[in-house]
Formats: sequence, structure tokens, C-alpha cells
Amino acid sequence: MDDNLETPFAAPKPDAPQEREEDEQSSGDEDQGPDWTKIPGLNVARPVIPKRGEKDFEPIAQGGSGLQRHVLDRSRAAMLEALKATRTISYKSVSHAIWYPELSRAHVTVARGIHFTTMGHSAARPAPVPEEDAKKMQKRLELLPEEALYLVERGAMYCWKPTDEPIHHTAHLDDMGGVPMMVQQAFAEMIGTEDLTLEKYQVYAYLKRLGYVVTRAKPPSSDYPVPPPFPSKARTSTSILARLYNAMASLLARLTRIFSPSFDWWRPIRCSRWLHHNMSNVSLYKSLRFLSSGHHVPLHIQRTPEKPPSQYEIFFHLYKPSTPFKKTAPPPPDFSVVVVNARTSPMPTISELTDLFGQLPELPPPAPRKRVSFAQQKLAAASAASSTPSQAKGPTSTEQSLRTPVTAWLWPPSCFGAAQKSSVQARPPNPFPSLKMGNKIVVIAAVDAGTISFFRFGQGVFTEWPMA
Amino acid sequence: MSLIGPSRHQGSQKAGARRAENNRIYAHPLPLAFHAPDSASALSRLFSLFGVSSTRLDNPHCEGIFDPYTRSVWVVSEKDSTILWRRGFFGKGDLSRSEPSWLARQINARKAAGKYMTSEEIREKRRAERRQFKLDRAAAIARAAAEAEAAFAEGREAAPTGPTLPEAPPDDSDEDSDGEEEEPLENVEHLQLTLQEAWFLVWNLDCLTVLDSQTNQPMTLQQIWRAFQDVHSIPPPQSPTDPQALRFDNPFLIHYAAYHYYRALGWVVKGGIKFCVDFLLYKRGPVFHHAEFAVVVIPVYEDPADQESSPFNLPNSETFSWTWLSTVNRVNSQVQKTLILTYVTIPARSRISPELVSSPACLAHYSVRDVVLRRFIPARMRD
Repeated sequence: MDDNLETPFAAPKPDAPQEREEDEQSSGDEDQGPDWTKIPGLNVARPVIPKRGEKDFEPIAQGGSGLQRHVLDRSRAAMLEALKATRTISYKSVSHAIWYPELSRAHVTVARGIHFTTMGHSAARPAPVPEEDAKKMQKRLELLPEEALYLVERGAMYCWKPTDEPIHHTAHLDDMGGVPMMVQQAFAEMIGTEDLTLEKYQVYAYLKRLGYVVTRAKPPSSDYPVPPPFPSKARTSTSILARLYNAMASLLARLTRIFSPSFDWWRPIRCSRWLHHNMSNVSLYKSLRFLSSGHHVPLHIQRTPEKPPSQYEIFFHLYKPSTPFKKTAPPPPDFSVVVVNARTSPMPTISELTDLFGQLPELPPPAPRKRVSFAQQKLAAASAASSTPSQAKGPTSTEQSLRTPVTAWLWPPSCFGAAQKSSVQARPPNPFPSLKMGNKIVVIAAVDAGTISFFRFGQGVFTEWPMA
Repeated sequence: MSLIGPSRHQGSQKAGARRAENNRIYAHPLPLAFHAPDSASALSRLFSLFGVSSTRLDNPHCEGIFDPYTRSVWVVSEKDSTILWRRGFFGKGDLSRSEPSWLARQINARKAAGKYMTSEEIREKRRAERRQFKLDRAAAIARAAAEAEAAFAEGREAAPTGPTLPEAPPDDSDEDSDGEEEEPLENVEHLQLTLQEAWFLVWNLDCLTVLDSQTNQPMTLQQIWRAFQDVHSIPPPQSPTDPQALRFDNPFLIHYAAYHYYRALGWVVKGGIKFCVDFLLYKRGPVFHHAEFAVVVIPVYEDPADQESSPFNLPNSETFSWTWLSTVNRVNSQVQKTLILTYVTIPARSRISPELVSSPACLAHYSVRDVVLRRFIPARMRD
């Protein structure tokens, strides 16, 4: 927004250094169009025009001026010139595949380029020429419809369709026994097969173009490799001291409950000086949490059976470009993506979200930022060493966090407050990164006639990070 | 009583002193204040060994008047208003932005040198500065465009316009007001508590007495519970056994379930109408830091038949469209708040008997869960 108190002038602005922290939610960089002067295939001898000018806040009273028209025409001309150039690819780097509509797969006969390290899977099919002792399976590289369509649209692959008509032999193209498909024909044939809609293809193509590896979450056939199932939540291993403390605390709680009156809904909180009952802010807040809350509380929402099955299913697994991806043994995915049409589907209901979260693993809280003291920063800068050991202000260890409740139980806090203070030396972990991320994340892509909005829905962890 | 307003030109020393002052004034997170004894005398140590605590509990016993037309509880006494605001940031002054500061503003307006500025005065000053800046900027743009036009007409290649280095905003000089003798000021402002805040104070902390506006008699808990729900039924139910009276989806109950959930976790919960949401969550209070989270309360019916027979048209009970969700998310991310969707499930009348609504025990059957919503920008999340 226009927050800086600046007045404009006619000279160009010097490039502001890109030092500001990338705001995760702002979309400034993403919305800028492509730089038309840097597209390959254009003539070199052309005037260089600036990438994007500053927008005028108000139109001039006299109407559009000559300068404004001139600048606008220049940018438009650059864009049209870039689009006019023909895209070419060397015939030595083109791959070839045959599209089988009844299988809705494309069988890759000639694979060239780096695409196939992350795309395609090997499927076993019966041999094309039936021999005497038939039933001989051959493994071959196959592509799902979205993968084939993506490569065809890029121009990196020729897709052929088998046909019975006589074929004219062409130079440079191997005798494939079929006719090459146009991109238009590829779209028409492949969208609609194998659960692929136009929205899903658009999301797939967008993410692939950015460099991610995108695979299907639900394997369409048994040949499709799947990542290992998410490990169920491992029980936190508790030391003997912790278990002993828990047992004693529950016993004490049961004893006090015998002597204290039963829970009265008209008077839920009682503060009494006997037994330090709710005589501090911390314990008062703890007793305030008597209403059921959190995601583990069961949902009793009635599902109407006549409603169609929910559209909210995890469709794609997303891997970041930096993750080492092996086609035959894919690692657990970085993100799980659901694709919906924004015009026809409303937002997910809580039951749909709970179902989605049920399939996802719990993520650990994000690592705290390493804080380096000023003296160490200067040292690092002076010596230009790569890594100075930084003061780890990580979460307190289990033993340290155990010591505090034990001291609180054995000695009344009013007498021995000093002992408590000494045990809380390390900085407690910052709750905000964890609160803002949640512990389970699902990415929902809402496609609105070509415009894709990605949202991250995270399961809230407010009950685990109380402020008091 | 008046706020020392934050100003951009103060040094860090003053900011530290202000922070210490705020820590001292707003030390108690709830109106029930606990005073631990400083001296660990032998007697108090003896008592604590026997399990008797020697901390003193200070209950302010505030008083408020229930006003069904504004659906709020008015706290008229100045002392009670101050206590409720300073211990937990409850309520809002009805003539002020947040803290009841109308009297201070009037006194400032009369005094010659306004040393302390309330938050409203800071806001007015800021708006005046910005208005002036925008006028200056529009004039400068027009000048720059005229320059560029002239250059282009001459045939010189001119680059598009751009902004300059920032200028210091114009300094407003304080106006001197003549010290005329005027009649003594009477504080006509009161503190307004929402129904949820009032019920929280009455029910859990027992530090507020609610008087009936007609009879000026203190209301019993049962009467308050009934009255707070009946304000939402139009026309009000004739008898307690009216089927309209006993409904789980009364807006008061749903918002109270969400309010209680966040208050019990230690957050300061204030209204969020400024940002298209229901609640704003502050870590310690509005004077310390901006709100980190914006909460939208989404009621979910367990039984769809309840929704059809409901006389209340609960907001957000129909599933959102994506455009509305994008709108709310964008408004809040512009102000660096994270959007939280809080789902409150309304028990089905078929599963839980509606008779339970006559006591707060029905609150045990609402479940509250939250979902964090953020945008995902694949171009940025690649590494």
C-alpha cells in the first residue's frame, strides 16, 4: 500500500534493494507479468524498455497525454513481438509417445531430456506380439494424461495416436504407425480421462512450471508408485520420573476431588486459600478451561447419505524442487494438494476438513530462529567463517521442563519462589510460529476460471500453547 | 487515567519508560487480583506448610446495568470502569475508541498545553497529516506529469515518473485555547461490556453484579442467563417454556463458547468488526502490541433440521464462498493478522435435550476447534 511518505517527480526511481523480508502473504512479485524483453527467440536489435513503470495515481485533467500513449504503445508492441515469435525445438531433443485412449495412458517410446526423471512410471503390459506361450509381460514407461498433456503443451514431446489409415512417410519422424496429435486434440482427448479435469490440469501445469514435482495421491493403478504411509503418531516416550510424577499428580487430584464439592455449573470457579486452590493467575486460567475444546473432541455432525461424496480429497502430492525425489520410491510429500472449482464448490465444512486432517501426519513445531549475539556476529563477519556456533535458544529439554512441576508440587510456591526462578533459565519457545502454522497442513487450490488461489488450512494448536 | 500516546519520534529511553509504566498499570490479567505477601514471615510459612495460602484475593465487586436495547451491560461508575479496563481490557468506552478517555480528552481540549494525548487525538493528528500529504502528492504528480509531457513534446526521451526521497511531514503547531472559565466537567461516558464479557465476569470470576434497568435490583444468575439469551429473540418469548426460548443456536451461546475458549487460554479477546471478523486476539492487551489473530466464528449445526427450523439467521452458518474467504483473508493479511476459523458445533436437539439450555451446563456440549488459514504462494515456497 502507499505507506511511504513520498512525493513523485519525473526522474526514474533508483532500484530499491531487495532486502525487506519476503512477506508470505503479499502477492506483489507473483502478479508481475513476464518480462517481455527477456524471452528467447526475439531479435536482439530492439530498444530496451523498462520492465514496469509506476502507475499514475490520478488521470491528468486534460485526458491521455502523448507521453502516456507512447509508453503504453511501446510496452504493448514489445509484448506482441514476443508472442509473434515461433517456438522451435531441435528434433534431436524431442521425445515421442503413443496415446492409448482405452488405457488412458501414453506409452513413451523415445524418452529424451530431464523430464522423465520425475515423470512417468513403469507399467507392465502384455507383449504386443502374442507368442506361442503368450502371457509375457513387458515393462514400459507410461505417462498419466496430465503428464503427457504437460509435455505436449511444452513442446517437449510428440504424442502419436495409433490409426488404421495409411500413413505418409515423413523425414526426421520415425515410423510410429500413427498420426501426431495436435495440442488441441491432446487437450480434447486427455482432459476427462482418469479423473483429470481442466482445473486439476491447470494446477498441475502451474506447479510443474515452477519446478515442483507433482504426483498423484491416489494411485490410479497398481503400477503407480506411492510414498510410504505416514507413521501414526508415536507415543511420546516418557521417563520413569515423568510417569511417577503423573501417577502421583492424578492420585492427589483424585484425593482433592473427594474433599472438594462436586462441579456446580452455576459456580464453576472457586478460589479458596485452603490448599492453594486457584490462588494464582496460572491456576485460575487452568481451571477456566473446563469446556471441551480442541480437535480431539469427537464431532457428532450428522451426515446426510443422499449428498454426493465430498470433492475434498487429496489429489496431488507436492515435492519441493530441492527434495531428492526417486521415482520408484517416492519420499513422504512436502505438501498435499486438494483441487476444487471455486465457482461450484463452497468452502470445506468442518467434517470435510477433519477427514482431510485425519489423513495427514502431524508436523513438529517449526524450529526457532537461531539468535546470534552481536559480538558473535561481528566475529563471524570479521573472520568470514561459514558457521559460528550460535546460541541455541531452542525449546527446553524434557528434564528441565520436568524439574519445574516437581519443585512446584513438593514445595509450596510462596515459600520457595527462589527455587522456581533458578530452574527457568532458558528462554521458553516462541508460540507464535507454531500457532500460525498449525500442526497439520493441507493446501487447497481453488481454481476460478483459470485463476488459481492456493490456501493453506492448518489444524489449530491453540490448546497446546496457552498464553497463561 | 489517560494514555500516554505512542509517537514515532520518541527515543528508545522514553519507550522503555512507557513500557515499564504499562507493565505497572496493566499488571493484572483479570479483575481478580492476587497479592502475594512480600514478607515470608514465620506465620505465613507455617500456614503454607499446612496448605493454607497466604495470598490475598482482591475482588473489586463491580456493578453494571443491563440494557437490552443495546445488548450490553453498562458500567457507570468511573472507578469500576477503570478497574475493568485495566485488569483484562474488558469493555469499551461508549464515547471513545477503546479505553474510556472522554473526560481526559475534554480536559486536554481545555488546557493550553496538551502534554498527554489520548489515542483519539493521536488518530486525528495522524489523519490530518495524511490528508495534507495526499494533497501534496497529487499536486506533485500533476507537476511531474506536466514536466514529462513538456519533455516528450520537445522530443526528449523521458522515463516514466517515480517517487522521490521522503519529505518530513508538516509539523502541526498546537493551537492555544483561551482559558475561559467554563462549567465543571461531568463524566457522561460509561463503559460498555458485551454480553459475553459480562457473562464471563459474572459467572466465572463473580466480580460483577448486574442490575436490572427497570427495577435497579441485582439480577440473579438464572435471571441473567435467561435475559442474555432473550435479547436475541425478536419478539421476546412470552414464557420460559416457549419453544423459541430453549434453543441451542442462540447467538449469545455460540459466541460465548468461542469467547470463553480463547479467554481461558489467556488471550485478550476484543471485537473485530474493524477487520470483517468476529474477534481479535491480543497476547497481553491492545496497549502492548497489535492483535496477532483475527477470529471468524463459524457455527456448525450437527443436525441440518435444526438450521431449517431456526428463528435466528446466524451469520457464517452457510458455507462461505471462496470470494468472501479471499476478501476477509486479504483484509487481514494487509494488517499482518492471521485469520483463524473457529468452528463451534451446535448440539442437535435430537441428541441433547433442549431443557439443558436453562443452565450453563449446556455449554459442555458445544465443541470449539480452530483452523488456521493462510495463503500459499508456490513461487515463494520453493525452498
